[in-house]
Amino acid sequence: MVISKKVLLLFVGLALFVTSLAQTRKITGKVTGPDQQPLEGATVVVKGLGHGTSTLKDGSFVINVPETGNTLIFSFTGMEVQEVPLADKTTVRVQLKGKVSKLDDVVVIGYGTQKRRDLTGAVSTLSSQAYKEQPVLNASSAIQGRVAGVSVTNNSGAPGGSVKLRIRGPNSINGGNDPLYVVDGVALGSTGLGDLNVSDIASMEVLKDASATAVYGSRGANGVVLITTKSGSSGVPRIEYNGFVSFNRPMKKYSLMDPVTYAKMANLTSGVNTFPDPQSYAGKGTDWQNMIFSNSVTQSHELSVTGGKEGVKYYVSGFYIDQQGLLVNSSQKRFGFRSNLDVKLSSRLDFGVNVYLARINSHNNGDMGSKGNPVTGALTWAPTEAVYDAPGQYNRFGISPIWANPYMTIKESDNDNFGNIGVFNARLKYAITDWLTFTVNAALDLKTAKSASLRNDWISPGNPGSSQGSTESYTFQNSNILTFHKTFDKHDLTATALVEESSNKYNYFNASGSGLASLSNGYHNLGLNASQSINSGYSNWALLSYMGRVAYSYNDKYLLTATLRRDGSSKFQGNNKWSSFPSFSAGWKLSNEKFIDDLGVFSNLKLRAGWGVTGNQAIDPYSTLGLLNSVIYSYGTPNGYQGYTLGNPATPNVKWETSKQTDIGLDMGFLNGRINITADYYNKNTSDLLLFTRIANYDGGGSYLKNIGKVNNKGWEFMIEGTPYKGRELTWSTSLNLSFNKNKVIDLGKDSLLERNVIGGGLISAPIQVVKVGQPMGAFYLIPWEGVYQSDNGAYKAGDAKYRDVNGNGSIGFEDRVIAGSATPTFIWGFNNSFAYKNFELNIFIQGSHGNKIFNATYAATAIPTSDVKFINLADAANYWTSSNTNSTWANPASKNKSWIESTQFLQDGGYVRLKNVSLSYTLPKNLLKVAAAKVYVSAQNIATLTKYKGFDPEATTVGGDVDAGIDLGAYPSPKTVTVGLQVKF
Amino acid sequence: MLKAIDMKKVINYINGRPIRITLVMCCLALASCSKFLDETPKGSITPQSFYKTANDLQLAETALALQFNLAFNQVTAPYYAGDDIAAKRNGNKIDFSDFDVFNANSSNSRMTTWWNAFYGTIKSANSLLANYNNATEATADQKNNAGGYAYFMRAISYFYLTRTWGEVPMPVDNSINDNRPNAKVADLYNLIVGDLQKAETMLPDHWTGPAKQNGVDVLPTKGSAKALLANVYLTMAGWPLKQADKYSLAAAKAKEVIDNKATWGYTLLTNFPDLWKFSNRFNTEAVYACYFNKTTPNATWGNGNMMAPNPYAPDYEEGGWEDGFGEISFFNRFPAGPRKDATYQKDYFVKNDPANVVDWQHTLQKHPYFLKYREDDQFNWSNHKAGDWWSSATSFVIRYSEVLLTYAEAQAMSAGPDANAYLAINQVRQRAGLTPLPEGLSQTDFRNAVVAERGWEFAGEFGIRWFDLVRTETVQQANSLRDAGEVALINHPSDAGHTYYWAPIPFVK
Repeated sequence: MVISKKVLLLFVGLALFVTSLAQTRKITGKVTGPDQQPLEGATVVVKGLGHGTSTLKDGSFVINVPETGNTLIFSFTGMEVQEVPLADKTTVRVQLKGKVSKLDDVVVIGYGTQKRRDLTGAVSTLSSQAYKEQPVLNASSAIQGRVAGVSVTNNSGAPGGSVKLRIRGPNSINGGNDPLYVVDGVALGSTGLGDLNVSDIASMEVLKDASATAVYGSRGANGVVLITTKSGSSGVPRIEYNGFVSFNRPMKKYSLMDPVTYAKMANLTSGVNTFPDPQSYAGKGTDWQNMIFSNSVTQSHELSVTGGKEGVKYYVSGFYIDQQGLLVNSSQKRFGFRSNLDVKLSSRLDFGVNVYLARINSHNNGDMGSKGNPVTGALTWAPTEAVYDAPGQYNRFGISPIWANPYMTIKESDNDNFGNIGVFNARLKYAITDWLTFTVNAALDLKTAKSASLRNDWISPGNPGSSQGSTESYTFQNSNILTFHKTFDKHDLTATALVEESSNKYNYFNASGSGLASLSNGYHNLGLNASQSINSGYSNWALLSYMGRVAYSYNDKYLLTATLRRDGSSKFQGNNKWSSFPSFSAGWKLSNEKFIDDLGVFSNLKLRAGWGVTGNQAIDPYSTLGLLNSVIYSYGTPNGYQGYTLGNPATPNVKWETSKQTDIGLDMGFLNGRINITADYYNKNTSDLLLFTRIANYDGGGSYLKNIGKVNNKGWEFMIEGTPYKGRELTWSTSLNLSFNKNKVIDLGKDSLLERNVIGGGLISAPIQVVKVGQPMGAFYLIPWEGVYQSDNGAYKAGDAKYRDVNGNGSIGFEDRVIAGSATPTFIWGFNNSFAYKNFELNIFIQGSHGNKIFNATYAATAIPTSDVKFINLADAANYWTSSNTNSTWANPASKNKSWIESTQFLQDGGYVRLKNVSLSYTLPKNLLKVAAAKVYVSAQNIATLTKYKGFDPEATTVGGDVDAGIDLGAYPSPKTVTVGLQVKF
Repeated sequence: MLKAIDMKKVINYINGRPIRITLVMCCLALASCSKFLDETPKGSITPQSFYKTANDLQLAETALALQFNLAFNQVTAPYYAGDDIAAKRNGNKIDFSDFDVFNANSSNSRMTTWWNAFYGTIKSANSLLANYNNATEATADQKNNAGGYAYFMRAISYFYLTRTWGEVPMPVDNSINDNRPNAKVADLYNLIVGDLQKAETMLPDHWTGPAKQNGVDVLPTKGSAKALLANVYLTMAGWPLKQADKYSLAAAKAKEVIDNKATWGYTLLTNFPDLWKFSNRFNTEAVYACYFNKTTPNATWGNGNMMAPNPYAPDYEEGGWEDGFGEISFFNRFPAGPRKDATYQKDYFVKNDPANVVDWQHTLQKHPYFLKYREDDQFNWSNHKAGDWWSSATSFVIRYSEVLLTYAEAQAMSAGPDANAYLAINQVRQRAGLTPLPEGLSQTDFRNAVVAERGWEFAGEFGIRWFDLVRTETVQQANSLRDAGEVALINHPSDAGHTYYWAPIPFVK
C-alpha cells in the first residue's frame, strides 16, 4: 500500500496549511420564503470559495466576500437553490421558491454524481427524511419495504443480529449475494452496514441495474448501496438530540402441551408408561418459553453538532445504543462518534476527512449451540421437568430432548465479543481547470474484535474452561479519479477515469483452555487452564481496477452513458485474474419534446434503457488453492495435537462469475411533480456460476469449486410517490413500492439437480434443499406428506402418517422427495403513509413479502419424534387421529411406522404482511421552548403480522443464505416493540 | 516550524502546475507492483508444501486418527440385525429397529455415520499413501510408519464397509468420480489383504510421541495389522467369498500375534469387568482401539465418545437414551459368570432411586441392558445417573481375546481342533468364569462353540456378532430363536438366499 501512504502524507502536508484570505467586502441582506416570511437558518455561500454563513431569525445575514467572489448562493431545505450575481451590490434581498420536484437533486452514482433528471440507470434514492418517523437501529431496517427491488429480511432478532439484503434477487449459488456497501466513496470490506450509526446517514442510493453498477465491476453483480453521511453546512452551530426508549416483547409464543398431556403423549410414543401417573403433573411443570424470553428494553441516544465558516464545514456526532435481547442474558451495547470535515484550501483545492469510530460490545448474542439452542430447547424440553433439582442446582438433562436445560444454557453462558469499528477516509479534490478535476480518495475501514468466553461447570460439566480470541480485518482503498466536464452549445459531456487499488488483510488468533482451576478470574486468566490450545490464521485479498465512464447529453433530451471497468483479483489464478465489465445506457427526456409537452399531462417523462456486465468474485481468498484442513486430536489425553488432512481439491481454472443485465425504465411526473411514478423491467442472467459442488461421500465428501451453470432473475419494479391531499392544515403524503422477481436456475452443466448438504443433523438426516434446473434458488426437496391413513393399509395402520410413494417402490424414503416450493420470495412491497395535521404527524408503514416457503424445523422438532427429541410437545399434535377423531392430520404418537421430518408436513408459507411501524409525533409549539425546537413521539414496530407461518417470526430463519435458505432451526425471533422518543434541535 | 513554509507559495505552485501534479499522482497510482494480485496463504498449509518432513507425516497421522474415531463414537444401525442387540420400535428408535426386523431401506438415518466416517478415512489415507514417500525430510522408518498406518486405515475401513454393505465404491486415490461403480467383493478383499500385508511390514512395533499414551500404542502397530489380517482371512473363508484356504492363513497370522504378544505388550486382562472401567481406558488387551478425550480444548466431535454413558442405558428407569438393549433369547443363552455380569446390567434403579431396585424383567421395556459402555469419569454409580451426554471412554476395535478366538476357529477349521486351538479358546473361557471346552469336539462343534464364544465375549461391540452370523451364514438360524418378547420380524432373512445379509447402500452415497 505504498501509494496510499504517499497520498496520505500529501494530505497531511496540505492540511497543515490554511490559506490566508485576501481583501474582503461586506454584504448584508435578507432571505424570505415563498410566502414572504423571513427564513431563519438559510445558507448563504460565496460561489467558488465555499465559505458562508446562515441567516438569523429575521432572515437577515452579513457576509464578508473576498474580492475574487462575485456570486452568492442561497439555499434552504425544501427550497430551490438560488444564485445571485453581486456586481457592485452591497445589499441583497432574496425570495426563495419552494421546490417543485426532486429532479434537480444530485444523486451519488459511484465515482461521481449526477442530477436525478439526467440518470440513465436504475437508481433509487432513500433520504433519511423517509424513515424519520421510525426508530431504526440498523440502516437495513430503514431500507426494508422502502426501496423497490430490495428485499430485507431480519434473519435474527438478536441484538445486532444478521440481516439479509438482496437487490433484484439472488444471482449466485456460492459466490455471495450481498450487495456492495459504499460509504462516502469507501467500499466496505471489513465492516458492514450494521456497524454504522444510522443517524449519520443523509441518504442512501441503491444502484440496481448493471448500467449503474458496472462502474463497480467485479463487485457490482449484486447491486450497490451508496451511503452518504451528513456533512456540515455553513452558519451557526446547530445541535440536535435524538433519543428513544423501546420496550420489547415476543411477537408470539408456540402453543405447547401442558405437562399432563405431554406425559400422556410420551406414554403413547414410548409404548409403555414412561410417566406412570400423568395426572400427578397437573398444575406443575415449567413453561420453558416464559423462562427464556424476557420483556426487554432498548435505548438509543444520539447527539450531533453541525456548522461551518470561512471555508470549513463540520458535522460531528456521537451515539449510544443499549439493546437488551428478547432472550434473557443477551445484549449488545454500541457507541461511537463521527467527524466529517470539509476544508476549502484554495479556490481549486478541496480537502475532506471523515472519521468514524465505534465500539460494539455483544453478550451472548451469537448462535448458541445451533439446533440445541435455547429457542429450540425451550420448545422441546419436557414441561414435566423442573428448572432446578434443588435451589441453585440446575436440572441439567431432562427426559427429552438430549440437549441440556435451555434456561441453564442461556443463563450460564458467558460469551462476550468486543468489536472496534473504524472507517477513515481522506479526499483531495483538485480543480485542474474549470472542466477537469482530479480527486484522490484514500480510505481504511477496519474491524478488530476480541472474543472471550467462560464455560462454567453448568456449561461444561466437570471441565470448566475459558478462551479468548481476536480477529483483525483491515481494508485499504485508494481511488484516483479524473473527471472531465464541459458543455459545448447543446452538448454536455462528462468523462471519468479511475485507477483504484483495494486490499484486505485478515488475521485471527484463538487461545482456548480447559480444566480451569478457578472461576474467580472469569475468562481473564487463561493460564489457570490445565490444558491449552492455540490457533491462528491469516488471509489477504487484493483487487486492482481501471474504469472509464462517458456521459453525454444533447439538448437536455437525449442521454447516453458508457462505462468500462477492468478488474484484476487475487482470488483467481493465472490468466483468470483479469476481466472486463462494460455497460451502455441511454435516456430520452420525452417531457422536453414539444409533442409531449403539448399534451399537458406530464411534468416529467423519461424513458431509460441500459445493458451491462458485472462480476462476482465473492469467494473466500485461497478457495482455489486446495488448502489442507486443520484438525485437533487428543490421542486420548487432555492435550490437543494439531493434525492436517486433505481438504477440497485445488481448482486453478476457476474464473469470474458474470452477470449480464438489461433494464428498461420509465420515470413519470404528474401535476407539477406532486405524483411521481417510476417503473422498471429487468432481466439479469448470471453465468459461469461459482459453484461448490458436493463431492460424493464415497470420495470423502466435501466440495469442489466450479464455474458451471446459469441463473436468471427477471422482474418488475414500481415506485409511486405523491401527495394525494394537501390542505391548509392536513397533508397526506404516501409512497408505494411493488417488486416482482422471478428467480430461476437455468443450467447446471451436466447436472440437472444438485443436492445441498444436510443441515440440522440429529433432527434432519438428508438434504432437504436442492439446486435444480427450472426451479428458483432455495428449492425445497421433500417427501410429499398426505396426512394420515384413515384405515389399515398393508404395513400401515390407521392413524399412521401417510406419504406419497413417488417412485412406487413400495417403501417411503428419500427417493420419494419432490420439489415443494422455494425460500426465495417472488413479491415484496411497502406502503408508507404520513398524515401531517398542525403539529401532529401520523406515520403508518406496512410492508410485505410473499411467495416463499419456510421449512420450520423448530416446529417439526416439537411435533414428531426425532433422534434428538424423542417426545412431542406441540399442543396441536396431541389432537391426533383416532377412529373417533378422523379429521385430524396428526399421526398417532403410538404409530409403529416412521414419521418423516424431511417431509412437506413442515414446509410452511413464509409470506407475511406486517405493520412495521405506526408512529405519532407532536412538534412542540415554537413559543413553548425559546431556544429549541422539540418533537416527541410514540411508535410501535412489528405490532401486527398477518401470516400463515406457524413459527415465531416469518423473517427469522437460521439458515439465511440463498440456496441453503429458509430453514428455521430455533432462529432468534424479532420482538414487537413500543417506543417513546424525543428530538430536540438547538 | 511550519511557519517557515509559505503556504501561499505552495498553493500557487500547485495551482500553476496542474497538469504536472496530476501526472505525478496518476503515475503513483499506476505504479503498482506485479505481486499485488498474488495469493500467499501465510496462515494455511497447501498441498504443495505438505508431506515433506517427519512433522508433516505426524500431522497427517493425527488427522487420520481423528477421522476414524467418527466411526466408533456412537451406535450405528446395521449391526442391530445381529441377534445380540435390538431396539424398541417407537418414535425415534424406528430406524434402529428397522435393521433389527430386516425392514431398513436406503434412507435409514442411522447407518450413514459409518459410510461417511470410513470413506472420510479412506480419502485421508489415500492422500497420505500418495505422498508419504515424497517426504524428503523424514527417515525411511518415519516414511514407512506413516505409509503403513495409511494402508492399515484404508484396509480396516474397506473391511467394515464391505462386511456391512457388500459391493461398494473403491476409490484408491484422490480422484473424484460422481458415478463411481461398485467394486466386487473379491476385489475389495484383494485390496484389503494387499494393504495389510504392506502395513504389517511398514508399521512399527511401537510408536513414540503422542501416539504412545500410558504405555499403550494409540495408533496401530505391526501386531494390530497382523491381528486384523487374521480376522480378514477368517472372514474371507466364510460367506460371501468362502475361500476355505484362508483358514490356515488366518491361523498362521493369529499365531504370529499370539507368539509375539510380548513384543507388542498384549495380554488378556485378568478380570473381564476391568475392561469397562474408565481408569482402564488405556489397557494392554487393546490390540487396536479408538481413544477419546472430550476435555481437550476446542474438542471437536471426534475427540469425544457418545457410546458412553447414554445409548445403552435404560430410559425410563435411569434417564438413558435406550438406543438399544440386549435380545432376550441371546441373553438367556449367555452363560452366567463375571463376564455376563459385566456385559448386562443387573440392578435397575427406578427413577435413579437406589432404594427402588428392579431386575430387567421389571423394567418398562422388559429387556436386559448392556453395561459395557456405561462408565465414564462422571457416571454416578450410587444412583446410576450420567454426568454428561458424551465421554472420554475408549471404544475397542480389536481386543486380544478376539485374536485368541480367531486363532482357535481358524486352527480348528484348517488343522482341526488341536491342543493349541483349545488352549486359545480356554484362555477366554477361563477369564469369563467358564469351564474349559469339552475335549474331543468335532471340527463343526468346536467351530460352533468358538462362534458362540465370540458372541458372548463381544456382545454389543460394534457388530462383531452380526458379522459372525453373516460369514457363517447363520442369520436366519439365529433369528429362529428370537424371543416372543421382541418386536416381530417384518421381513425374514434367508441363509440360503442370503437375503438381508447386506445393508442397503445409503441413498445419499
